[in-house]
Amino acid sequence: MSATETNGRGGQTRAPVHRFGRELPPKMLGFVMNLPTLLTLTLVLAYPIYYAGYLSLHKVTLIQLRSGNFPFIGFGNYERVLTDPLFLLSLGNTLIFTAFTVVVEVVAAVMIAILINQQDIWTSRVTRFLILLPYAVPPIANGLIWSFMYNGKLGFLNRLLYSVGAIDRPIDWTGDADTALFAVAVPYIWRTLPFAVLLVHAALQGINKELFEAASVDGAGPWRRFRHITLPLIMPVIVVLLVLRTSFAVAVFDEILAITQGGPGDATWVASWYSYRKGFAPPFDIGMGAASAFILALMVAFFALLYIKLLYRRVD
Amino acid sequence: MRKTPLQKILLHLANIVVIAFILLPLSAVVIGSLLAEKNLAGDTRSIIPGDITFDNFRVIISRGEQRGQVFEQATYLPDNVKKIYHALGNSVVISLSVTFLTLIFASLSAYTIVKLQLRWAAWLLSVNIFARFVPIIVLMIPLYVVFRQLGLLNSMWGVIIALTGFLLPYGILILVPYFASIPKELDESARIDGCTRFTAFLRITLPLSTPALASYGAIVFIIAWNDLLIPLILNNRAEFMTLPVVIASLVGDVFVVFNLMMAICLIALTPSVLLVMLLRKFVVEGLTAGGVKG
Repeated sequence: MSATETNGRGGQTRAPVHRFGRELPPKMLGFVMNLPTLLTLTLVLAYPIYYAGYLSLHKVTLIQLRSGNFPFIGFGNYERVLTDPLFLLSLGNTLIFTAFTVVVEVVAAVMIAILINQQDIWTSRVTRFLILLPYAVPPIANGLIWSFMYNGKLGFLNRLLYSVGAIDRPIDWTGDADTALFAVAVPYIWRTLPFAVLLVHAALQGINKELFEAASVDGAGPWRRFRHITLPLIMPVIVVLLVLRTSFAVAVFDEILAITQGGPGDATWVASWYSYRKGFAPPFDIGMGAASAFILALMVAFFALLYIKLLYRRVD
Repeated sequence: MRKTPLQKILLHLANIVVIAFILLPLSAVVIGSLLAEKNLAGDTRSIIPGDITFDNFRVIISRGEQRGQVFEQATYLPDNVKKIYHALGNSVVISLSVTFLTLIFASLSAYTIVKLQLRWAAWLLSVNIFARFVPIIVLMIPLYVVFRQLGLLNSMWGVIIALTGFLLPYGILILVPYFASIPKELDESARIDGCTRFTAFLRITLPLSTPALASYGAIVFIIAWNDLLIPLILNNRAEFMTLPVVIASLVGDVFVVFNLMMAICLIALTPSVLLVMLLRKFVVEGLTAGGVKG
């Protein structure tokens, strides 16, 4: 792009070409330049957020969708959602899934970030190079790959364990209702860990190395250096990471769809799966789907506000 | 802080564990895509049962015409697999359009937020920080109904517009700090030389921001390429399917065998993985800038 901007008109800043005529006043220019963003965000974010609230207060199923007439039913959808045992179960599963993935990810991210920060270990450079790989894998493909790995009859994990002699009977990894949610959590962690590692790694690189050397001279071992230098300095990033990952993990969808579809039974129903199934599978209760999605949105909004608050405190 | 040999060995071991974890699913997809179904089902204990075969790819690439030995007796091949070129084309068109549009829209907005110092532009920035958190699933239902009323269902444009809207806030958050780091003096001297604000934006700010634009562009392309929910819900006709939708359509189809699924997954993940590895530096910078500085 820069080549076409600078060439052919004889210099970059000299030629006073007023291709766009008289200059607009800043207010006007700002408005015109923001027009595409404002229109798109209104259509895709602002209006649908408002409309989600609207739909959640109306009776909307396939019949109403065809006729275009949505009768108002107040908080009826919320009442039905909040008294639906399946929704409460989905909400509980979402919280378990979120707590598990976020804690594992943050701890693992700090450990791996420190690991890839070791300049004198050549395998750390290999890890640093490979760490981004999972980020690129489409979540739905990731889910399908893991469902091949988990398969009880001909799965890849069982084959690996057979080969090293660790098992003599096949394990059905996602078949047990008590552990299925954690089996789905591992692929999710695999895919989203790179982001967490890179965030912590960026914070580590900002730490002045002389601090470590000074502490080392004073006789501080690796654990005390971590505890008293590294951890306090990367704490702000860890807090940001906690909030970011939490708000994304409560909306997990692709891996659930690919690996368990909510099963076995209803063991891996999560909030997003509930909204999707209510709205886009028979009986297509869009009002109830919207109400449950709105409850999920409120949870995310809470974390988003927390994030903005923390960020402002950091800027001060 | 010299490390003892024991510490070094432990660190190497830790690296090996992490590398093995990263490569585990990738080796599963590569190996799975090179196997034959009868070998997978016949020998359930060895890592590579039977001979390696490229028939899975052959049947996909030839749209089911060349069956090869693996699919000789297969009577059923999902229609969606036969439309793989179509899906590939749709994925490319959608991802490129979204990348292009978000780059333009986001840089226009980021410029006004940074350089024009308007009161409502600061407000727009905080709206974007907030908007970044909105999960796609939360807006899927209203988006479906709104797009239905606007006649945007079952079209490429619907998906492109929706993805552009979802990815814009992220881009504005990446570009704002970068634009802010470009010295004001450059802009001002260009204006003294006769540039309007807009031409200064085109000739000074944009060319100097190529690293940030590349970071953001790469990230947007990957997210658009990988996204499942938006094309899944807004389009239900086969002609508008993207690769992730084709993959999702195979889920739960008991007749589809794992070796074929793994081959399709490998085809879908190769472009985004290659892109990430080629633009590694830019992607890392974009992820950390958009994540922390906000």
